[in-house]
Amino acid sequence: MLLLQQFVNSIMLGSVYVTVAVAFTLTIGILNFLNFTIPTLFMIAGMMGWALSYYGLPLGLSGPLPWPIALMGAVVLTIIASLIVERFTFRYLKTKYGDSTEHAIPLVSSLGFLLVLENLVRIGYGTDSRRFEGPDADLTMNIGGIFVRVPQLVSLAVTVVIVLGLTMMIKHSRIGRGLRAIAENPDAANILGVDTRRIVPVVFILTGLLCGLAGALFAINYGEVSPAMGEDIGTKAIAGMVIGGLGSIWGAVLGGLIVGLIEMMTVHFFGADTVQVMVWGALLLTLLAYPSGLLGHNTIGKGKL
Amino acid sequence: MLEVSHLDVTYGRTRAVKSVSLTVAAGEVVAVLGANGAGKTSLLRALQGAVRPSGGKIRFDGKDMTNQSSAARVRSGMVLVPEGRQIFVSMSVHENLQMGAYLRSDADIARDIEAIYERFPNLAERRHMSAKTLSGGEQQMLAIGRALVSRPRLIMLDEPSLGLSPLFVERLFDLLAELNSDDIAILLVEQNTSMALDVASRGYVLELGSVLLEDTAEALSSNTALTEAYLGGGQNTDQEGSEHERAPAR
Repeated sequence: MLLLQQFVNSIMLGSVYVTVAVAFTLTIGILNFLNFTIPTLFMIAGMMGWALSYYGLPLGLSGPLPWPIALMGAVVLTIIASLIVERFTFRYLKTKYGDSTEHAIPLVSSLGFLLVLENLVRIGYGTDSRRFEGPDADLTMNIGGIFVRVPQLVSLAVTVVIVLGLTMMIKHSRIGRGLRAIAENPDAANILGVDTRRIVPVVFILTGLLCGLAGALFAINYGEVSPAMGEDIGTKAIAGMVIGGLGSIWGAVLGGLIVGLIEMMTVHFFGADTVQVMVWGALLLTLLAYPSGLLGHNTIGKGKL
Repeated sequence: MLEVSHLDVTYGRTRAVKSVSLTVAAGEVVAVLGANGAGKTSLLRALQGAVRPSGGKIRFDGKDMTNQSSAARVRSGMVLVPEGRQIFVSMSVHENLQMGAYLRSDADIARDIEAIYERFPNLAERRHMSAKTLSGGEQQMLAIGRALVSRPRLIMLDEPSLGLSPLFVERLFDLLAELNSDDIAILLVEQNTSMALDVASRGYVLELGSVLLEDTAEALSSNTALTEAYLGGGQNTDQEGSEHERAPAR
């Protein structure tokens, strides 16, 4: 019974990894770019959610906001932060100093953004963990002896809806086709009038939305946020993405859930200290058997969505 | 309709296109000939908007397009069928055609795509299959069909016959004549000189980035000195690799 409870918990934890892993895989699949700011965006969502519900709007514009509004504001701020990252890492530096095949400049500059943003938050709010006063922790259902918290169920549902919506959008909408065209062959896409400068921000808006929602879900589920909260989630989401296959959305979903499961089972059987060993060990074993991940294609960087 | 004046394209220290001037009138077929490295592809890339020219002007319908984006050019009616086809192999045939309508939002897109299927029944049969299952010739038809869905008034083709079987080369040039009778102007860059001059009314010969000669198609075809010296005889034999189908983009 305890094992089954752990299994349920792992799905809930996994859904946070899934959302962040999908954000990673989207940028890799379309732009061939490992966006290092994703863990920071996730952290910003959590910390801004906390700041808005603790202090309210800056300059005394409002008192502390109720938590749902604070989290919505946090998601919007995360999207804005993601667009700022796009403006400076991807657009400015890449178009000014690189060409369409240049990958190192966005990568390194996004790593810079990771450090700058994280330390700005540390300077602003200190390095301590903060309690996020979310919905009552009592909202728990007892289903046949298994305890399921309502916020967990809601976050699972939100994750499922986002991933399904994203897949539908990429598969069937005009913008989705444009994104896939850019992913496969930027030159040919450009010839048909797909404007990279207009469509790349779409990827960053989606990245901000996914990270924002993941950070909000994390704050609700764990009731605690900190400037360091992105580091652990970020590395595990990358592990999940690699296990599932770079650039594959369903791969990120599968990989995120697998990492969540490995983590909970490791905690259950061996204790929390061995989690990293098991997660990254599983990653190595997966890559030995499936070099491009469970659902990945063998072409790196192109046309995978 | 298209007026190019004194166009320069520079890559680093290399001047790929030097002060090229050319015109294409509405409904006209114009051939651009020249050996490898003569600057033909660079010229087309500048016309399509992939490279910024370092000098000169591009005007389309009297509007200055020199610094306009590719999207603006497609919207105003000029579209490129690039060398090597560049179809999207990760997409289905149908999605490739929909990509041609990327900038359109009117209600006639579905009808225009159906018209492409009527023109190319091979594509209709495979509309839901991946574009990478198509043969080289079918891929070229798809690339042209995709460009047509954007409703161009000027279609620019870069080496469309390269790598096609002789049968498909025949069909390709028949198709170009058909398109022209639908009042679409064509700027055709080809190494297959004799076929290109058959379908064109005028031609330009590029050498080392500059216009060497400009004349009517008849005059150019009868210019034996020219065909021998610069165009390698004008028959199919000048094309390396024309016998085997080129591999898809990826």
